[in-house]
Amino acid sequence: MRLWWLTLGGLALVLALIPACSPRKITPAPARKPVVYTTNYPLAYFAERIAGDAADVRFPAPPGVDPAYWEPETSVIEAYQQADLVLLNGAGYEKWVERATLAASRLVNTSAAFEADYIPLKDAVTHSHGPEGQHTHAGFAFTTWLDPHLAQRQAEAIREALMRLMPERAADFEENLRALAADLAGLDRELKRITAGGRPLLASHPVYQYLERRYGLDLVSFHWEPDQMPAPGEWRRLERLLKRRPARLMLWEAEPLEEVRNRLAGYGVVVVVFDACANRPAQGDFLTVMRENLARLERALAD
Amino acid sequence: MIRICDLDFAYPNGPFRLRLPELQLPRGTHAAFIGPSGSGKTTLLFLLGGVLTPRAGHIWAGELEITALEEASRRDFRLRRIGMVFQEFELIEYLTVRDNILLPYRLCRRLRLNGAVVRRAEALAEKVALGDKLDRFVDCLSFGERQRVGLCRALVIEPELVLADEPTAGLDPASKALVVEALLGYARSSGATLVMVTHDGDLLPHFDQVIDLGSFQEAKP
Amino acid sequence: MRDLLHLAWRYLAYHRAKTVVLVLSIALILYVPIGLRVLVRQARAELASRAASTPLILGAKGSPLELVLKVLYAGRQDPPLMRYGEAERVAKSGLAQAIPLYIRYRAQGDPIIGTTLDYFAFRGLRIAEGRQMTRLGDCVAGAEVARRRGLRPQDAVVSSAENLFDVGGAYPLKMRLTGILAPTGTPDDRVIFADLKTTWVIEGLAHGHQDLSRPEAAAGVLARKGANVIGNASVVEYNEVTDDNIASFHFHGDPAAYPITAVIALPRDEKAATLLMGRYEGAAAAHQILRPIEVIEDLLRTVLAVEKFVVAALALVGATTLATATLVFLLSLRLRRREMETLVKLGASRGRIAALVASEIAGVVGAAAVLAALFTWATAAAGANLLRRFLIE
Repeated sequence: MRLWWLTLGGLALVLALIPACSPRKITPAPARKPVVYTTNYPLAYFAERIAGDAADVRFPAPPGVDPAYWEPETSVIEAYQQADLVLLNGAGYEKWVERATLAASRLVNTSAAFEADYIPLKDAVTHSHGPEGQHTHAGFAFTTWLDPHLAQRQAEAIREALMRLMPERAADFEENLRALAADLAGLDRELKRITAGGRPLLASHPVYQYLERRYGLDLVSFHWEPDQMPAPGEWRRLERLLKRRPARLMLWEAEPLEEVRNRLAGYGVVVVVFDACANRPAQGDFLTVMRENLARLERALAD
Repeated sequence: MIRICDLDFAYPNGPFRLRLPELQLPRGTHAAFIGPSGSGKTTLLFLLGGVLTPRAGHIWAGELEITALEEASRRDFRLRRIGMVFQEFELIEYLTVRDNILLPYRLCRRLRLNGAVVRRAEALAEKVALGDKLDRFVDCLSFGERQRVGLCRALVIEPELVLADEPTAGLDPASKALVVEALLGYARSSGATLVMVTHDGDLLPHFDQVIDLGSFQEAKP
Repeated sequence: MRDLLHLAWRYLAYHRAKTVVLVLSIALILYVPIGLRVLVRQARAELASRAASTPLILGAKGSPLELVLKVLYAGRQDPPLMRYGEAERVAKSGLAQAIPLYIRYRAQGDPIIGTTLDYFAFRGLRIAEGRQMTRLGDCVAGAEVARRRGLRPQDAVVSSAENLFDVGGAYPLKMRLTGILAPTGTPDDRVIFADLKTTWVIEGLAHGHQDLSRPEAAAGVLARKGANVIGNASVVEYNEVTDDNIASFHFHGDPAAYPITAVIALPRDEKAATLLMGRYEGAAAAHQILRPIEVIEDLLRTVLAVEKFVVAALALVGATTLATATLVFLLSLRLRRREMETLVKLGASRGRIAALVASEIAGVVGAAAVLAALFTWATAAAGANLLRRFLIE
């Protein structure tokens, strides 16, 4: 008899279990300070200024690396994946992001608002596959932040992104942005004043396109590296150029080799270091680096 | 002791009629019913066992009047106190020899099936040479073996009255000897009353009392 | 009672062929409608919960059901494709978060879903072993795929060539499995996830190869037009992304024009959802935006209608079978009259005999019920698979 009751009980149990199902539980994340990652130092600087203590701003590129050509390691990409917000410079600056896996919804292209004003690169090598292949555009100049006006628009985009993340801190962000904008406007005024002469300039590298456009500079760029002696052909090119355009200043991203500086001096060309400040400076911050750039440029122009 | 008084029985639709003014079988008697076919031997046996009920008259088993019992009590009495051996064995085909022997215990709530009963059943089977066939189904047994199963079933409840309806009919001499020995042996050892219907004159010397139903009826025309 | 059950059991065991046939036929009669019911309920629960957890699906105009099943279950039917630019448009509208999905390629039969990390956050997918994918050519496997194929982190997963003769099309890409997802009990367990951009690499829209402007690649140059170098077919294309060649991977053309299957839109609120849906209304629209739950409910209504019909038919068959079973019982009782008489002669009451027969019936029906329950249990366990076979693939 017991056997039968057991069987019936088992049957009832089986039937009772059939509709049972376990709903997925969602546990809310504990509250913590939002983490903001950036892909270059100027963005980190702007974000730090605007966010204040409201967010944890991180830019993990090692010192001495040009963030534009940086390939972060896996662990760094994983850190970017964990971020609440990833600020991009845009204009094709961070190539590694194209090849990395990140949450699209947390990426903010800070220059998206002026995409139409990107400056296309003129003399880069492109390629396509087969005669009918789709042509790849050469890309854009990407040191947008060297134009303080564009830098300010990027800062505004950062403020928007932070506001979406922390709407309750909107007033703080607004105030911080105003202070930053005032500093950037100061740089802009200074640059306008210093470059008013309209004298022809040289650049060791094509990085100053946005500066050139905003201040109407007469600028010709080479592809010279600060730690290398340019090839003889490059020097001949300089000679031919100087005959047509008596430029007396050459902008360098970093201090060139002593012999390069001396040889340039032989042509009457003075080296002026104008640091784009893409990576975190050893001393000071974005603003002090820019002010030093301006001071050096002003001194050189005054000579 | 069995006592019959003014018994009158007839089947609902048939000419057969059995009338028996008086019969007494003292306790422990070994009685044989003989007589020609149709003289009412089996009918009387079934009346004694309470399988059939008479139109009139009384049957007592000891102090208990069977004919006065309710149907249920009568069945209960039969199951617990009477061992019946049927001419046609009345075995259940889907049960093994052991289960057939123990069947009364499965049918009667008041009989408790326990280890002692099972051992008794096995001992009985051993006695009638069925010890090695306890787990067989009855349809693979011989005629004589089947009758012995029926016999064991009748005796397993340790009845005080054994009613056997031609238990040796059609049996080979060896089986016959086993059956008779078992029945008489049981009756002797337990003091039970044994009533056997038989056609076999050879067996009559074993009985205390031989009742010829043919002559009995003839004697009362 | 125990005695009666013993006798009943003996009877059923002795007539085992008859018993088995009876048990089986009654079990089937019980099982088929219950099993169907369980299956339909499971289908409803599974389909509805997956659909309900997916607010909006945007795709190219076509069969709504195909699109929804593709997005929710990576079904085999391929709905028409749309452009990635539309996903960006949705995201830029600020009305909804847009999760693009490109579900076209497979790796040895398992679907590859190209998407962004947002999908993982949206579905609550968690890496159980290894780590998250970080770059082109990385992939993570759903729990079931990994278990079935015995995959471990750092194993290679090769995408299947879509068409052997399509030389210009999808090449097999050897992907690096970086992690295995924790099981979720959803279709996400049965797919392989890669970055959307990786699926474009599979498609051939993005690729890596020798730098054509360097001297060692001269053999691969077909022509130079100004600053543009045209490569010929001998250019070495990488079929695997490695740390050494990753920098050479690049996209041709505008990613906004690249294909995707659909966009899961997570609207900010109900109003944003309505606004977003409004944008894609009208017969002229090239896109359709769907609330998956509505599409699935449509499907379920059809399923339920079919179920009703089937259950009605089954009721008829069931009644017939039960009548037959009853007949078998009654006939067997007639055949057993002698047995009954024997029991009566021995002293069994009618009630006792009736109880014996009832025990036999209960035994048969009980065994049938247990069997039906087992079948039902098996159906419930295998239900998800069955559903996938019938509804999705």
